[in-house]
Amino acid sequence: MTKPFNPAIRDFLDGRIWLRMHTPFPCEEIDALLDAGDIQVIKGIESKPSFLNQKRHLCNRCENEDSTRFTTFNCAKCEGPCTYCRQCLKMGRVSSCTELIIWKGEKPEYPTNHTIAWQGTLTPHQQKASDELIESQNKRASHLIYAVCGSGKTEILFPPIHKLLTEGKRVCIAAPRVDVILELEPRLRAAFPDTKIEALYGGAKPTMEASQLVLATTHQLYRFRHAFDAVFVDEADAFPYKADATLQKAVQKAVKPGSPVHYVTATPSDKLLSEMKKTGFVSIINRRYHGHPLPVPKFIPLWNYEKQIRKGKLPQKLIDWTENRLARKEPFLIFFHHIGLMEEAEPLFQLIDPRIRSVHASHPERKEHVQALRNKELPGLLTTTILERGITIPNVQVAVVGAEQQIFDKGALIQIGGRVGRSADYPTGEFILFHNGITYAMDEAKAEIDKLNKGGVRT
Amino acid sequence: MNCLLCEQKLASSPSWQLLLAIENTSLICEDCSKSFERVDIKEEDDVVDQVTSIYTYNEPMREYLHQFKFLQDVALAGVFANELRTELARKDDIIVPIPMHPQKKIERTFAHVEEMLTAARIPFEDLLIKKNTEVMGEKTREERLAMRNLFSIKPGSDVKNKTYILIDDIYTTGTTLRHAATVLKEAGAERVEAVTLIRAER
Repeated sequence: MTKPFNPAIRDFLDGRIWLRMHTPFPCEEIDALLDAGDIQVIKGIESKPSFLNQKRHLCNRCENEDSTRFTTFNCAKCEGPCTYCRQCLKMGRVSSCTELIIWKGEKPEYPTNHTIAWQGTLTPHQQKASDELIESQNKRASHLIYAVCGSGKTEILFPPIHKLLTEGKRVCIAAPRVDVILELEPRLRAAFPDTKIEALYGGAKPTMEASQLVLATTHQLYRFRHAFDAVFVDEADAFPYKADATLQKAVQKAVKPGSPVHYVTATPSDKLLSEMKKTGFVSIINRRYHGHPLPVPKFIPLWNYEKQIRKGKLPQKLIDWTENRLARKEPFLIFFHHIGLMEEAEPLFQLIDPRIRSVHASHPERKEHVQALRNKELPGLLTTTILERGITIPNVQVAVVGAEQQIFDKGALIQIGGRVGRSADYPTGEFILFHNGITYAMDEAKAEIDKLNKGGVRT
Repeated sequence: MNCLLCEQKLASSPSWQLLLAIENTSLICEDCSKSFERVDIKEEDDVVDQVTSIYTYNEPMREYLHQFKFLQDVALAGVFANELRTELARKDDIIVPIPMHPQKKIERTFAHVEEMLTAARIPFEDLLIKKNTEVMGEKTREERLAMRNLFSIKPGSDVKNKTYILIDDIYTTGTTLRHAATVLKEAGAERVEAVTLIRAER
């Protein structure tokens, strides 16, 4: 005989792994469910003895095992040495004496009635990829959608997501960057008007409902466990996901055992591509939805640009390029590898046009400036790689200053070029790589774009 | 080793100070370290004979304190170890950290001021007891001034006719320091100074 309980607790906790002391519910209700066996307590940090009196730690929330990401201190609460995980610290500290809880009781049931309100039609390429993805999902195998920038990747996901939802399954779309989530949220809410959708990112408040479709930054998946029947990772090659093993583990932990993780990107790493060929399926789209080729980068030397900018002088070629854009009233983005250099260049650009602004990840007016560029209130922006993906501005022209810098790897350069010519009205545009010497990455990016345009693909 | 604040890789440059362990290895990168703004002010007060504060309460410092105290990132206790040691490199004055209420300490799992001193390898004496659990940051100036003394001397401790230096993380109105100095002086301290990491405007 089970006692009645607050179903909101089940809906909230199911699939999550949460700090016992930080649930949005009264302690007594949680305690009662613990006694009834509906909630299970897990230790925050698992420590095992290792050689030389050292200890190996594992964070049970984010599954971090890197010994440099743990700190041990003398805890006043458990009155002894206590270890905490610095990897997921910002989500509330997990230490040896912290208790995590998971839901073990009956599972919530998700509705099977979902409308798809999206009115567009898929191109034959998109349709094929979409069908192949559904087939992989049926086999519970991972799938990679490798599709060039501007080929309409999100739309490809609509039919498979709709199918999963009508089967009462729970689905997650994860992306490394919050910008991507913010861009996806309104599109998915419009496409699935009857579905309970939740968007999770740093600073967002979780709803207390059982959301069947969850949009989340990959960081937020630290807090999920065996929750989803499928996770779609958008922009799988973006920082910090591609360089952070714990984020990759978090995604694997968030799906139910045996359920697949799918990937969507224009620039898969060689590793992901070969892995997916071995263990999953790959769909490739090498044409933009409007059928025009990808803009090919043009290499222009800009010798000693860094020294010149630091001395307070913009290289003439850069001035000419900018003035040209202004004269033609074309919006532009100029990418820099370093915030400091960009901020030194900003006043020099403002001598050409005082409305030119710069943005970077923690810039307070980042969103406003990008919006102003869209509204044509600003003629152009200087930016770090933060705008390399996910942004669409009709007729935008792009230049990279210092394309030889390490941060501009092949993937980043292809993504940056992918900003150009996205709309059917302006399918071409400038894609200039100003450099202080040509790198392999620049050559490889150009070679891959050429190959894609000829109809070939990287294999 | 990565910077404890921004997770950038640390470039370590060997020096003789490091070799002789006069200085601790820096835990944060140069950029983060530059983002903190020094004030180095000495102020006089009617009860506390001198208050020295090292940094302003700017945005990076606010974030640091938030991560250290509220996100409970004990690893950050050593970030200002070198600066504190330079400031406290004095002969035989007795260092006394402002304590937390025992209940609060259990909630936070550590006493932040003591952790900072321990990380800087500065010896200190635990002379004070905090009597209530009230939080300064939640009070108005009037409320602070009207409070009864927050501290008492730990039973059995011996306060000498010497100079004591109180240590706290942040100096705002000075109520905490004045209360602590008053009980020390009533117990026989000759002079009470204070060093705080941060000077906040109120």
